[in-house]
Amino acid sequence: MFFEAVSNKKKYEVHVSETRDSFQVSLRAEGEDWKQYNVSKDDYQYMDQTVSFLFNNSSYLLDVNSMGTEYTVFTRGSHRTIKIYNEETLLHESLKRGGGFGTGENLSSGMPGKIVNVLVKPGQEVKAGEPLLIMEAMKMENEMRADDDVKIKSVHVKQGDSVEAGALLITFQT
Amino acid sequence: MFKKILIANRGEIALRVIRACRDMDIRSVAIYSEADRNSMHVMLADEAYPVGPAPSAESYLNINKIIEVCKTSGAEAVHPGYGFLSESAEFAKALKKAGIIFIGPTVENIEAMGDKLAARELMKNAGVPTVPGSPGAITSVEEAEKISEEIGFPVIIKASAGGGGKGIRVAKEKSELASLFRACQSEGKNYFGDDRVFIERFIQNPKHIEVQVFGDSQGHVCHLFERECSIQRRHQKLIEESPSISVPDDVRKKMGEVAVTAAQSINYLGAGTIEFIFDNKTKEFFFMEMNTRLQVEHPVTEFVTGIDLVQEQIMVASGSPLSFAQEDIQQSGHAIELRICAEDPMTFVPSPGKIRRCRLPQGPFVRVDNYAYPGYEVPIYYDPMISKLIVWGKDRPECIRRLQRALAEFMLTGIKSNIVLHRNILKHKKFLSGTYTTQFVDKQLGAANKDDFFMFVDNDLFLITAAIEAYKESKSRDVSKLNLASRWKDKSRMESVRT
Repeated sequence: MFFEAVSNKKKYEVHVSETRDSFQVSLRAEGEDWKQYNVSKDDYQYMDQTVSFLFNNSSYLLDVNSMGTEYTVFTRGSHRTIKIYNEETLLHESLKRGGGFGTGENLSSGMPGKIVNVLVKPGQEVKAGEPLLIMEAMKMENEMRADDDVKIKSVHVKQGDSVEAGALLITFQT
Repeated sequence: MFKKILIANRGEIALRVIRACRDMDIRSVAIYSEADRNSMHVMLADEAYPVGPAPSAESYLNINKIIEVCKTSGAEAVHPGYGFLSESAEFAKALKKAGIIFIGPTVENIEAMGDKLAARELMKNAGVPTVPGSPGAITSVEEAEKISEEIGFPVIIKASAGGGGKGIRVAKEKSELASLFRACQSEGKNYFGDDRVFIERFIQNPKHIEVQVFGDSQGHVCHLFERECSIQRRHQKLIEESPSISVPDDVRKKMGEVAVTAAQSINYLGAGTIEFIFDNKTKEFFFMEMNTRLQVEHPVTEFVTGIDLVQEQIMVASGSPLSFAQEDIQQSGHAIELRICAEDPMTFVPSPGKIRRCRLPQGPFVRVDNYAYPGYEVPIYYDPMISKLIVWGKDRPECIRRLQRALAEFMLTGIKSNIVLHRNILKHKKFLSGTYTTQFVDKQLGAANKDDFFMFVDNDLFLITAAIEAYKESKSRDVSKLNLASRWKDKSRMESVRT
């Protein structure tokens, strides 16, 4: 089965196949060669509601939370959210965006809160790490910063607005 | 001794107090907001009463309602924990009026230390060293600029009623002073209803060192040595340890004495903490403020002194004398506490949500004060700290190794947590050498990128695991057969993988 994936802003082609006692996972990062991993089912088991994965004899306990195309993998105190598109979701993405995927994002609020200040305007170019807006939630003022170098397309909130979880805050130009 | 105590708090500190009550054979009464029916303190207490809607102002800060519950339940005393009403003179007064004992300092103690400006004056007069700063509250930008130039940049701007990291700003130069000054004023006004602000010299190589003090109703005051709490993010503590590696023995002795003098000067009752800013170059220390409550980081003191601070608070509140004298208190070995918060480890943005898996560290000399459990949804209304991991070792290196071990056992999934941040700090040479300052997290770790940060995991492992799970999910929904055209694509791609 083929997938396209985005991990850490890098695009991958992914192929997974299954035999009676193993998974074959092939990965190809954009512009690189295929890497093959043979994962025996003995090394990849569910134990106590978590995945116990012996990866090159290193013992990892993992938990995977999937929501739509997003898979968040937790292990060893770290976590990573990976986007995985199968044929169906790829089609959806391309219809939605008119080609290309994985780039161009919206900034939405992860939790309910209040907008303390909006620091950017439509059309403005912002470097990665620069603040976009300040939101008050969980008793703290939180600065929301740009993940990447982006250009602001539109701003959907203004100072003093109360927003719900998941509310669209800023749209970036793609 | 009391027969029943009400705990006017939630989260791990409520559990901590419930445990002390059990140890002393006292019944415990929990209160909870609508967002907390499924919170751990409700399950562990002997009794539990709802006190109102989720926002703290309508529940955990609702003084009348809490007193009503005291009466209904027959609780004779209230332990406020930290935060919420723990430093509210109004609450202490209301309890006194209702004939209920407040497990904490006197109303006068809270009032004397609650106003940071007045407290500093008071301490200066008692002979306690303070940082050079504005003599009183500053109301205008012009005045702020004039004073800042006198004491020299950088300066720190603080809301008089501020605390817990709110209402504090640092101005590096004159040009940024005006906007930061206004921000501070507005935060002070919004959070605490008080827009008075003061300014003082910002110590450049600062460490946060505090001394635990304890007073009883017979007038004894002892100190229980220092804690270093210099590892902070956004002016909130992340890691605390005792003893501090930076404090020489003679300075330690002096700090303890000064802290006792400070507490004695206001006839302090119960557990309190004198916070000092410590200049790691000159080894000078200056009074910052006094916290008139139990601190989050009290377990490190419990580990090195062997004294149960919460039980001692309860005993002192009931009128008993302190169970120890100054010469009985020894600092033995080394203890470190890590605060585990539901937040992004790099941006520190809170990450409330549902916890999927939660497996706590165990083993010798490991203590976890935690209220998270699998399936628990961390509410958005309260503090993001969900656990404290505290470890003891015979010396600092052993303590740190044990902490690394314990942290590797800690599994918390479903929400983001700062566990990986702690793992990074614990192997950083600045932390190991003890030369870190309060700017450590912002300055030294700030440069690390995400890949370095997550170095504990092979990069491809995330992707392989996600791919296998996506494959299983897709297979169960059989999506590959949805589109016939893709079968041809599939075939050609298969070929490309093989070559």
